[in-house]
Amino acid sequence: MQEVTAPPRVVPEPQPKKYKSSSELKKRLWRNKLLYVMLIPGVLYFIIFKYLPMYGLIISFQDYKPYQGITGSEWVGMKHFSRLFTEPDFLNILANTLILFGMNILIYFPIPIILALMLNELRGTFFKRFFQTLVYLPHFMSWVIVVSISFVMVTMDGGIINELLAYFGFSKINFLLSPGWFRPMYILQVIWREAGWGTIIYLASIAAIDPGLYEASRMDGAGRLRQVWHITLPAIRGVIITLFILKIGSVLDLGFEHVYLLLNSMNREVAEIIDTYVYTAGLRQGQFSYSTAIGFFKSIVGLIMVMTVNKVSKKIGEEGVY
Amino acid sequence: MTKKSFTLLLSSLLTLSMLSACGGNNNKEAAATKDPGASTGTNTTATTDPAAEPEKPTEIKIMLPLNTTDTPPDTIKTEVEKVTNTKLTYQFFPADTYEEKLNSSFATGSLPQVTYLKNQTTFLQMKEAIKDGQFWEIGPLLSEFPNLNKLKPEILGNTKVDGKLYTLYIGRPLARQGIIYRKDWADKLGLKAPANTEELFAMAKAFTEQDPDGNGKKDTIGVVDRNELVYGAFKTVSSWFGTPNNWAEKDGQLAPEFTFSQYIDTMDFFKKLREGGYMNQDFAATSKTDAVNMFTSGKAGLYIGGSMQDIDSLNKDLIKNVPDAVLDTHSMVAGPDGKFAQWMIPGYNNVVLFPKSAVKDEAELKKILKFFDYMMTPEVSNLMYWGIEGTHYTVVDGKAKATDNKELIEREVKGFKDSVIGEYETNGMYQSLNVLPGRIHAEELVLENVKYGVADPTAALDSATYTSKGVELQQIIADATYKYMYGQLDKAGFEKEVENWKSRGGAKIIEEYNAAYTK
Repeated sequence: MQEVTAPPRVVPEPQPKKYKSSSELKKRLWRNKLLYVMLIPGVLYFIIFKYLPMYGLIISFQDYKPYQGITGSEWVGMKHFSRLFTEPDFLNILANTLILFGMNILIYFPIPIILALMLNELRGTFFKRFFQTLVYLPHFMSWVIVVSISFVMVTMDGGIINELLAYFGFSKINFLLSPGWFRPMYILQVIWREAGWGTIIYLASIAAIDPGLYEASRMDGAGRLRQVWHITLPAIRGVIITLFILKIGSVLDLGFEHVYLLLNSMNREVAEIIDTYVYTAGLRQGQFSYSTAIGFFKSIVGLIMVMTVNKVSKKIGEEGVY
Repeated sequence: MTKKSFTLLLSSLLTLSMLSACGGNNNKEAAATKDPGASTGTNTTATTDPAAEPEKPTEIKIMLPLNTTDTPPDTIKTEVEKVTNTKLTYQFFPADTYEEKLNSSFATGSLPQVTYLKNQTTFLQMKEAIKDGQFWEIGPLLSEFPNLNKLKPEILGNTKVDGKLYTLYIGRPLARQGIIYRKDWADKLGLKAPANTEELFAMAKAFTEQDPDGNGKKDTIGVVDRNELVYGAFKTVSSWFGTPNNWAEKDGQLAPEFTFSQYIDTMDFFKKLREGGYMNQDFAATSKTDAVNMFTSGKAGLYIGGSMQDIDSLNKDLIKNVPDAVLDTHSMVAGPDGKFAQWMIPGYNNVVLFPKSAVKDEAELKKILKFFDYMMTPEVSNLMYWGIEGTHYTVVDGKAKATDNKELIEREVKGFKDSVIGEYETNGMYQSLNVLPGRIHAEELVLENVKYGVADPTAALDSATYTSKGVELQQIIADATYKYMYGQLDKAGFEKEVENWKSRGGAKIIEEYNAAYTK
């Protein structure tokens, strides 16, 4: 995604000034022709893979039958949307989604930043690289593996954590089946798998800070913490805000796989989120129109959130993503 | 200057990577479209040279799920083509994503002449399209084909849609489920195979408390179960308790199983097992792999509900960890009223459909059915199920003994094995030669089970609400069942959930099934 949005930004467009004549515009276009040619694949990509598929959203207003196709299916207006909003579990599912999202923002989001700052303070290239590799490796494990590892660790039937609890005289805790433990388990797994990976961008932008700034501050008697507070953090503020806005866009989109693997009959009341609901109600049952309607709803919420946050960030004098 | 050249480099890199990505896609598409091209190519050669063949081979395209990682080579296919005078194009798609492929091919009208579904659930989802006339009805033609005509009428009946037959079925034994247990443990503790549910409970208890592996530690459990009410232990034990198979008559009306008192008794049974610590505590979150691992590592003594024929693979893994372990199978467990009962599947695990979009007319349909008629001869069904004699299997005492080279079978035969129509009683293929005593016992029990079999009365009935919302609604009951077994719901709470199920569409399902039932 990010690479694809890059070309328009990499090519520094001159500010759209008023051209005296169209011939001057043509000249400018011609002069940069190579850059425009390079733009073509990107534009095509978006048209073919992002805009044309939107045609399929039509089916959320239909009772879509595969064998009748989009043109032949019956139009039903907002039926599927109203079904979603009147579903008895809808509020609960939405709340679960929002809570997990809130935990992602409040608990998970700052961790890569802190980790990056800490890694940056490590002296000695070898250690720095070693620890960085160590923390980002879990990213390459699939959720199935992450969840299986935690299963083996916390199961009541000989899981090491429960064995330890029993050894020290505490009673065993049913982590896997109790609704109260679902959220902590979820966020811990997210942190374990993603935090190290998330540091990469921050570390890169920290590396770009002019060392002269640190030298100067040291001359003025600033300690390590002051340097972090007055130089490093302000320098990466732009990156933090950009990533924050992008994160906000995925508000209702927590990733199906991870939650689905943790979900079971005992914790459904806190663990069922929109994505897992789409899977059971939509795909397993073949209700294409209904699941498309839910997906549509999710995208609109995401769009509104990104636009709002972007606007706010511009208001307070930051750059925003567009 | 340097900045500019860097920009240039970056954008050209991006362009390149994108071009190559597009190129990759194109290649794939080209490969995909090449297939039909290639087959039409052979078609023309066949027609220009009619003297070589007495009759032109029938071209058939077949789409089916693949349960192995790689598409099998043409070894078996070539043999089948030779015998049946056909030109077959197999389109294998991974079973994991088969539904997706099925739905999208269907939506774009590109299903091939022969379309295998994935299981009973996908069949249920196709019913609407079948009623809509998208597939050929084959019922009236069946009598023209002597071998196809041997298919069991009661199972064909279960696959009918609105009383008409559209499909051929892939047969499976009606009731394979039962117990696989540690006979060495039972012998050591002086226990016999449980004759009723009380003895079953006692066995689980003894396996947990009496240190059956003799290591002086209390590190074993009785039953290992997983997060699956139907193919796990629950439904099997529930049928021993006398719970009907999904639906049964109650006060002259069809009612779902969870409204019967036996269902509650079964939940109580598992609740007691769990509370006593005689089964794995996390069974509501245990996957099949984890459950199997627990059994094969020698930690648990009873594996209930799966196919008893799985004893071969369980045994193989278990004796790696516990070399002197002995397994046996058992299924005749009487309920509290002293009666045996065993739930049955509708006798098939998958079906084949013939889309009208690909099969032009009845003449073509008959040609394809002729191929399936061939497939139901012992010659072809052995070829597809067992492979090539001498290479993939040998015949010992009139039974097939598969080669020890499991990888070879997996690679070359497995893909076709899952497409064989009928069962050995109808297509005459070899039965398998079993050596493990527990497996031989299992085969006897599979036959014995059927004598006490309980069928699902709704198997051939239709309910529009069930088709559209049934799976989603069933979740309410499954959740409530687990919560009851974990003690979070009492009987009143469970019944409230049943009411919830009714109010959200269940009542309509009851109504629709009853309407179809009395018809």
